[in-house]
Amino acid sequence: MRIETLLFKEIVILPELFLGLSLVYLVLHCTFLAIKKKYLLIQDSVLYLGVLVLFLSCVLVVNDCLDVLELSSLNDTIINDYVSFSSKLIIGSLSLFCLLMIQPYLASQKINQFEYILLILFAVLGLFLLCSSNDLLTAYLAIELQSLAFYVLASFKKNSTYSVDAGIKYFILGAFSSSLFLFGSSLLYGVTGTINFEEFRDLLINVYPGSIDTTFSDISFFNIGLIKFGLIFILISLLFKLAIAPFHTWAPDVYEGSPSASTFFFAVVPKLAIFVLLLRIFYYSFFGLFESWRYFIVISVVLSVIVGSFGGLEQRKLKSLLVYSSISHMGYALIAFSAGTFESIQMLFCYLIVYSFSGLCVWSIFLLTRIKNNYLQKQNKDLTDLVLLGKSNYMLAIFFTTVLFSVAGFPPMIGFLVKISVFLTAIESSMYFVALLSILCSVIGTFYYIRLIKILYFEKVLVGKLYYPINLQSSVLISILFFLFIFLFINPTILYLFSYKFSLLISLAI
Amino acid sequence: MLYIKNILSYILVLPLIGAFILSFIPSSNRSLLRSVALNCSCLTFVLSLVLWVFFNKSIGTFQFVEKFFWIPILNINFPIGVDGISLFFILLTTLLIPICLLASWDTINIDLKKYLIAFLVMEFFLIGVFCVLDLLLFYIFFESVLIPMFLIIGIWGSRERKIRAAYFFFLYTLLGSVLMLLSILYIYYQVGTTDYEVLLTFSFSPLEQKIMWFSFFASFATKVPMVPVHLWLPEAHVEAPTAGSVILAGVLLKLGTYGFIRFSFPLFPEACFYFAPFVYAMSVVGIVYTSFTAIRQSDFKRIIAYTSVAHMNLVMVGLFSFNIIGLEGAILQSLSHGFVASALFLIIGVVYDRHHTRMVKYYGGLVHTMPIYVLIFLFFTMANIGLPGTGSFVGEFLILTGSFKANTTVTFLSATGMIIGGCYSLWLFNRIAYGNLKTQYFKNYLDINKREFLIFFPLLLGTLVMGLYPSVFLNPIHFSTNMLVEFMYF
Repeated sequence: MRIETLLFKEIVILPELFLGLSLVYLVLHCTFLAIKKKYLLIQDSVLYLGVLVLFLSCVLVVNDCLDVLELSSLNDTIINDYVSFSSKLIIGSLSLFCLLMIQPYLASQKINQFEYILLILFAVLGLFLLCSSNDLLTAYLAIELQSLAFYVLASFKKNSTYSVDAGIKYFILGAFSSSLFLFGSSLLYGVTGTINFEEFRDLLINVYPGSIDTTFSDISFFNIGLIKFGLIFILISLLFKLAIAPFHTWAPDVYEGSPSASTFFFAVVPKLAIFVLLLRIFYYSFFGLFESWRYFIVISVVLSVIVGSFGGLEQRKLKSLLVYSSISHMGYALIAFSAGTFESIQMLFCYLIVYSFSGLCVWSIFLLTRIKNNYLQKQNKDLTDLVLLGKSNYMLAIFFTTVLFSVAGFPPMIGFLVKISVFLTAIESSMYFVALLSILCSVIGTFYYIRLIKILYFEKVLVGKLYYPINLQSSVLISILFFLFIFLFINPTILYLFSYKFSLLISLAI
Repeated sequence: MLYIKNILSYILVLPLIGAFILSFIPSSNRSLLRSVALNCSCLTFVLSLVLWVFFNKSIGTFQFVEKFFWIPILNINFPIGVDGISLFFILLTTLLIPICLLASWDTINIDLKKYLIAFLVMEFFLIGVFCVLDLLLFYIFFESVLIPMFLIIGIWGSRERKIRAAYFFFLYTLLGSVLMLLSILYIYYQVGTTDYEVLLTFSFSPLEQKIMWFSFFASFATKVPMVPVHLWLPEAHVEAPTAGSVILAGVLLKLGTYGFIRFSFPLFPEACFYFAPFVYAMSVVGIVYTSFTAIRQSDFKRIIAYTSVAHMNLVMVGLFSFNIIGLEGAILQSLSHGFVASALFLIIGVVYDRHHTRMVKYYGGLVHTMPIYVLIFLFFTMANIGLPGTGSFVGEFLILTGSFKANTTVTFLSATGMIIGGCYSLWLFNRIAYGNLKTQYFKNYLDINKREFLIFFPLLLGTLVMGLYPSVFLNPIHFSTNMLVEFMYF
């Protein structure tokens, strides 16, 4: 049954509206419930309510967009097209998995405040809005909404110095990068007089890559140089949020210090939404200036691939290893972004989906392997804490091995297919040097993944670690993810079909 | 009879089905696990014998061709088929896997289930490499073999150094093959498909050929292995369990030469001719250097590992002679090396299971206590030298004849390898089999039992047949090789 009969179809932001209103209700509900009785633990009930709300908004997303395409509303500030539809769907399902996965961790770490769940939901709301934002100001506000939620999530363990430290670092640097975004936006507004993406595209309709010097120099409507200047500020700000190489230095500290559940969330979920914004700004609106912004991205690609693969070699903590892994993966994703062809956007989307799902798997395993008899109450996991997982929980170890080989981009896994798709786009746009360099760096990166596998299986210690048993809910989720992985390899066509339409709509601009 | 045209896909999936069944058997039931794995791999071998019987020897094109869809949206599919070149490599794989399982019948005590699954999955990947007719899928299978082998070396290896050996094995091979991956992507970008039979109709410019040939070379030469990148091989052989060494020497090294024949030759013929002197030089250095290195080793397995390198480099000389005799000799020598080197590693395994050392100095005079063992050892030592009557002789003779046409100096230099080969093989045999019985080291001696004899018997028979009546093997190879050579010259 469809809700079409109720004429909700005109409300383009229905899922976001539903999510926001439910959040307001949830805040009130939880506040009243929490002060009613002392020491009442409502964490679990809030979590399941949050899951329900998220699930329903995902249903609304699906319901919304099957025939409504390219519908903009609220004075063109919000757009609803296939890109926002599919990315919202992915983000919603990822957050669902995240919420269900962090539940045992929250219980064990005694994070009992209901605000934690609500903050995650606020971040998801921000990400939803980010996916469908159609002008710079909406995008800025959406970024701020999710970032503010993340700052609080990072510093949620009030009695841990690391966590507070991480929160403050994240806040200062995040605010700094947001201000750069605002500065860039104001430059663009000052030059062109608009902040809407479609109007940007219409203004630059005569500009296409390579034509700037010949056609456009005579027309002095506005200063192209200032536009480029503003674009670079916006680019830097967004690369800051993605933790790409020259702007990555905050990431290891913040990821390590924050509670693992928060790290899980902001390592996995927001990347896709920020990439959607990057695509909207740089492909949809400013593709005419492709030649000028491309080089900055290529430099970032090279740097982040090198930093990601060499930086991870000497890490002893699992979290910082994963940070460096994510830096190099964002570098590979940016290769596809800098290629500037029709296929490259499709491959970028494929890569991000697979990256997010494998991140989900790795972080779930990270949270699920809770060590018994850990008197020290360590904030972080050392790599050696997973020693001989192959003996103590061999199904989990097999799953972890599969995921690690996939993340490393090793052949029979889905990670390999999407990685070579990315390299294919690099070759198609003649970036041979970048392809060569990053493929060699990926071999170096493989070293730290197989070191993890070595720790899982080969280590010669007499006793491994003992872990708490994994509850039914988590094991069901883990097995769903495992079968998804295998299925995606056997039939990757579904992934490419899903992302095909994505590239189609963005490429209308090209 | 009705489904004989699908037999190749049965051979391909049967090990995978076996691995799937194994995963449901409790790991405490060791005898059931072993018998399921052995029966499954034996059935695969029988099916591949049927494949040989029904193989049409008088045509050189691909037979038993089937095509499955995989990613139709990117035009990447899954075609399989065999021709004369790949037929015997498939047979070699399916023969060696049951032998490996038998060889590790009692010796594997930890994680037997995973061990058997790893072997069956590896068999799937290896058969896949040899029968798939798509460049990208070839790469996928080619690389996937690393995963089970990495785990086999790492988990069931014997010493502490095994981790280093596993890393060596994994990273050397990976580093070589990512360059090949870039070339494959370039080919895909140029041609629009990676289907092998379509690629044959496409010709690349000389510069492209040279660059891509070199990147393919980086991958295959690591696998063969050629000299500067052979360092992983002795490490991996020494640290792997016996069955792992057998598969490594018997099949994995052949992936390199198979890749050269299958892809480098027909896709980049001009670059092959251009780089032939370079390959000759590297191979000759490899033959002489590794043969001399083999003489000064103290580890039994290391000696055989170095002889493997020497023999595979001889195969490379045969391949790059670019005539039918040389190519057929190279394929035959690959097969015969697959039999002989595997048998030698199994011979090491027999004494290693009894005494748990591989140092040559602890052994001596085994002929007094283990006569049957020494007889088999003698036979395979002679086969390793290339005695007439064994397959190695035919292979080496054909290779040297072929390369004599191409380059006499190279033939002369690589023939010295055979002489040095005689030195180290006889030296090794002499130390192990003759002399005084070293009773100060070992108290108990036991000749080989029935199971071990059954392991050696098929290898012995194969080597003899290959030496006495090589046409059995050469006839199916002939037309495919002929086509390949014609393709390269015209």
